[in-house]
Amino acid sequence: MIELKNVSVTYKNGVDALNDVSLKINDGEFAFVVGESGAGKSTLIRLLTREVRADDRADVKSVIKVNGFDLIKMKQRDVHKLRRTIGFVFQNFMLIDSMTVYDNVAFVLRCIDAPTKYIRKRVPQVIGLLGLQEKINRYPGELSGGEQQRVALARALVNNPQLIIADEPTGNLDPRTSVEIVKLLKEINDRGTTVLMVTHEHELVKRMGGRLINIRKGEISFDDRI
Amino acid sequence: MRLSGAGYLIKQGVRNILNNNIASVATFCVLTVSLLIVGFTGLFSLNINTFISGVEDKNEVVIFLADDADEEYIEELGNKLRADENISEVIFWSKEEALDGIKADMNDAEDIFGYIDENPLPDAYRIKIKDITRMSSTLYAINSYSHIEKVKAPYDFVNILTGLKSAITAVSILILISLALVSFVMISNITRASVETRHREIAIMKFVGATDSFIKIPFFIEGLVLGIMAGVVASLLTFAGYDRLIALLSTETTLFAAMGSSGFIPLESFMWQLAAIYVGIGAVLASIGTVASVKKHVKV
Ligand SMILES: Nc1ncnc2c1ncn2[C@@H]1O[C@H](COP(=O)(O)OP(=O)(O)O)[C@@H](O)[C@H]1O
Ligand SMILES: [Mg+2]
Repeated sequence: MIELKNVSVTYKNGVDALNDVSLKINDGEFAFVVGESGAGKSTLIRLLTREVRADDRADVKSVIKVNGFDLIKMKQRDVHKLRRTIGFVFQNFMLIDSMTVYDNVAFVLRCIDAPTKYIRKRVPQVIGLLGLQEKINRYPGELSGGEQQRVALARALVNNPQLIIADEPTGNLDPRTSVEIVKLLKEINDRGTTVLMVTHEHELVKRMGGRLINIRKGEISFDDRI
Repeated sequence: MRLSGAGYLIKQGVRNILNNNIASVATFCVLTVSLLIVGFTGLFSLNINTFISGVEDKNEVVIFLADDADEEYIEELGNKLRADENISEVIFWSKEEALDGIKADMNDAEDIFGYIDENPLPDAYRIKIKDITRMSSTLYAINSYSHIEKVKAPYDFVNILTGLKSAITAVSILILISLALVSFVMISNITRASVETRHREIAIMKFVGATDSFIKIPFFIEGLVLGIMAGVVASLLTFAGYDRLIALLSTETTLFAAMGSSGFIPLESFMWQLAAIYVGIGAVLASIGTVASVKKHVKV
């Protein structure tokens, strides 16, 4: 679950990226976040992952809660615990080119010191779930954009996150592949994972339907089901 | 941390070395050369200092006592001298011993001294100074005692030796410190390049929830392994080169010729300590250097 109350973000250079935002996304929901370039979408995401911090103002009491963590109170050394409950998908896939599909996915579990036995069982299972069995020993450079993004999805899923955050996951894909990726995200959502997807492709959103949050100049200008 | 996790991190560290072979070779070379310069500077100053200490030992201050000093006073002075922490040896040298000494040295002494009833020589204390750099203050204290005729000390000799010793020590320390700094900076710059190429990997580790130490450990291991390797190679090179260098120096250079090849500290007496110091310095410099270059990237 995500809960924001009266949250503002001002960057060091004075840019007012988010302005008094309040928002609640329940467990199991699927929400699109749309808005023009520079509206503050990525800032919202960085706020949820504790990459940026909310302004600390005396006159308002801000609240940021993600997956049961209180991000206002959270200590820097505990941030990794929060991130282990979130799966990330990026526009540019963010795969490691020198690692096979298997190793890219296994990397997550190795980074959190999971048992080897579990890694050996879990990784092929998730790769299979995304229909990538055939590609398990390939390198990212040998895959199409859609396949690479599916590897990224497998990586986001492998640690059973409560929440998946996808920042423009279809930005580098053709329309058909984009629909395919969003359908996969929906399937993941159907199994209980909360999904927050940032996009500026209104066509895609209209086609899929669901909850839509529009950010405009750092403020939420629309938040409803369409 | 699980055993498999630790194994994974070590494997990553070693993999990093192999994947970034240019950076690794560069780090390794910088370290090895630095260690060798450190080692030979240290050995040079150690050898000179041992040589100087050897000379110091042969060095003696003689305190001649006034005629009117009675036995009781002489005794008391002896105790005072022995109580001084910078005096290592106090020997009373009576006028009779002095006379016998002269007689023994001179063949016709009997003829000269035979006619003298009274021994004209003074009683004396022969003392050795522990630390000649503090000789003058020790002598100043001695001169303030009463019934002292004269103090004979090798001032010039001491001045030259002390000057030489402190100059060599100062230069060595300067070389060691600047070298440590230079190699630290070079190593963290060399590794910075390899860290940049792994920027994406580090970013991924951050967002999947790896702890900071987990991210740093492979880099730490990379530095550690390179540092240890450089330490071992520097040790081997020093072992192989030391005796040859001594042979060369003692035939070619006058200062060292004076020491003679036996005047040098033998390799066996320090080789394991030296190897330990090399490996220690190498490991510390390289691992801290590599980790320092990751710091910036790890911060999010
Ligand atoms: N690290 C940063 N430092 C300063 N300003 C930034 C930073 N990141 C983003 N901004 C600014 O904050 C505003 C919102 O940016 P962002 O959240 O990236 O928008 P979006 O993802 O919707 O395109 C923009 O004006 C952008 O220039
Ligand atoms: Mg953005």
